Amino acid sequence: MTTQTAEASRPEVVRLGRMERARRADLDILAVFVVAQVGCVIAGLVAPGKFAYVTTGNFQVMLQAIPELGIVAIGVGLLMIAGEFDLSVGANYTFAAIVMANLVTGYGMSPWGAAAIALLVGLLIGLLNAAVTFWLRIPSFITTLGSGLFWEGFTLLYHGAGFVSFTPTGAFVTATSGSFGVLEVEFCWFIVLAVVCGLLLHRHRLGNWFYAAGGNATAARAVGVRTRRVKTIAFAIAGVTAALAGILATSRVQSIVPGQGTDLPLNAIAACVIGGVALMGGRGTMLGIVLGSALIYLIQDVLLLLRAPGFYLQLFVGLLIIAAAGLNQFARGRAARQGNG
Amino acid sequence: MTDSPAPLLELRDISKSYGQVQALRDVSFTVGKGETVGLFGDNGAGKSTLVKIMAGVERADAGSIFWEGKPAPLGSRRASAELGIEPIYQDGALCESMPIWRNVFLGREDTVRGGFLRTRRMRDAASDILRSDIEIGAHIDTDRLVSELSGGQRQAVAIARAVHFKRSLLLLDEPTSALAVRETEALLGYVRRLRDEGVSSVLITHNLHQAYQVCERFVVMSRGRVSLDAARDEVTLADLTNRVLDQ
Repeated sequence: MTTQTAEASRPEVVRLGRMERARRADLDILAVFVVAQVGCVIAGLVAPGKFAYVTTGNFQVMLQAIPELGIVAIGVGLLMIAGEFDLSVGANYTFAAIVMANLVTGYGMSPWGAAAIALLVGLLIGLLNAAVTFWLRIPSFITTLGSGLFWEGFTLLYHGAGFVSFTPTGAFVTATSGSFGVLEVEFCWFIVLAVVCGLLLHRHRLGNWFYAAGGNATAARAVGVRTRRVKTIAFAIAGVTAALAGILATSRVQSIVPGQGTDLPLNAIAACVIGGVALMGGRGTMLGIVLGSALIYLIQDVLLLLRAPGFYLQLFVGLLIIAAAGLNQFARGRAARQGNG
Repeated sequence: MTDSPAPLLELRDISKSYGQVQALRDVSFTVGKGETVGLFGDNGAGKSTLVKIMAGVERADAGSIFWEGKPAPLGSRRASAELGIEPIYQDGALCESMPIWRNVFLGREDTVRGGFLRTRRMRDAASDILRSDIEIGAHIDTDRLVSELSGGQRQAVAIARAVHFKRSLLLLDEPTSALAVRETEALLGYVRRLRDEGVSSVLITHNLHQAYQVCERFVVMSRGRVSLDAARDEVTLADLTNRVLDQ
């Protein structure tokens, strides 16, 4: 009897609701972002003296600053979706940048060649993280915590604690820290990278394997997905993006100092979590990662413009992480109950 | 038996140890084309190890394996999958965080050159499969995440996947233990239907009554050896129950 009533009450085809599609495409994060932006713009127009949000200067700084975290977060986010962590991206960012700056400033190398070597350094650090994680069968959280400390220490050993200046000229400057009108080059790199990685994640079979390796590695292996190889590619991408962010930031401020990227790993993970990437892997979108990074910067920017002390940033980002993770959990639980009910 | 064609899969004198524990000793096992074989035995009798070897997840220490009479090493999951052997796990072995259609095509994505997905084609194909081959899925949007499906629906997706990719041998390890009665009936129904279409199955279960309804041959294992291998007309359900119980 009970099964019959359940059968009768079940609708013909259980289509996805509009709300659910929107949530899955991270349109909710987009909505939060748009509302926050509109709020800031209105506040900036109402009180331009107290809150100088709608100014060319603020806009430019924003377009320079978001990519620094955002590019790192793209690599970290892809890797998180594939079920692994990289806490060494900060040390990688600094080490790769110092190698580049030293090669140019100390040895007179072309900045193009030096930047290519820096990207290679990032790639190798990423591959090494993967190799150690899989050979020793330890969680990547531990591997990269260790390798992060190692590369930080190695940077000091190889280079010392002083800063290196980096003052290339010509096309390299245009390509790494120039601008097309108001559009900063770093921001273009960020968007191009986000689009390329987004296509890879959502429209390419490799992306499908990232989700599978992070969501259920056993099931993925059972259908022939080589999860280690897939995760190794994700580690490599995280390494290269960290080095790229280091190159762009160093080119903009024209110097790099050891210890500069210390906050990056946790901020990148925070950006991903705020953007809806699951800590346990298997869930997340490129749009979410990009918006998560932008939201963290937005909070930072608002607090700076209001001349609030720096600790407010930690306070707000901390709350935002917990709220975002809680919301995702809530939505997921509701979806699961609907499916079974 | 001698004049019949070579069996679909034949394992000859297979041995497998895990450290000190010998899981399989000289086990020989065959599955004919379109045949449904029930595999029974107590816990630790070696059923799951045997299935893992067929699935290519584990490698035999000794013995030989033949596919349609030709030697087939089955060293990896990939090699086994290429022959058309598909394990169906209790939970369907699907990725919960992914939509149904992505799960159906996982590892065998339909792509254009360069590896980019033909998403619309895969979505449509997944809908067609769930609608026509496996009735349980008729109500479900293939964009739904697997985490929203019941245990039976997950297995239905896994079986639909096997059907679509024209698998020739399904390995079902305790498929019904987590299912409701109606879902169990549906699952056994699929196994029967697939057999009619020429698909072979190996069904591991503790429920002999269920197995007796669908299987044509029964193999009982005990402490790593085969203790009985008989066709349905050679044993009664009572005989079979006794053989499984007194070992």
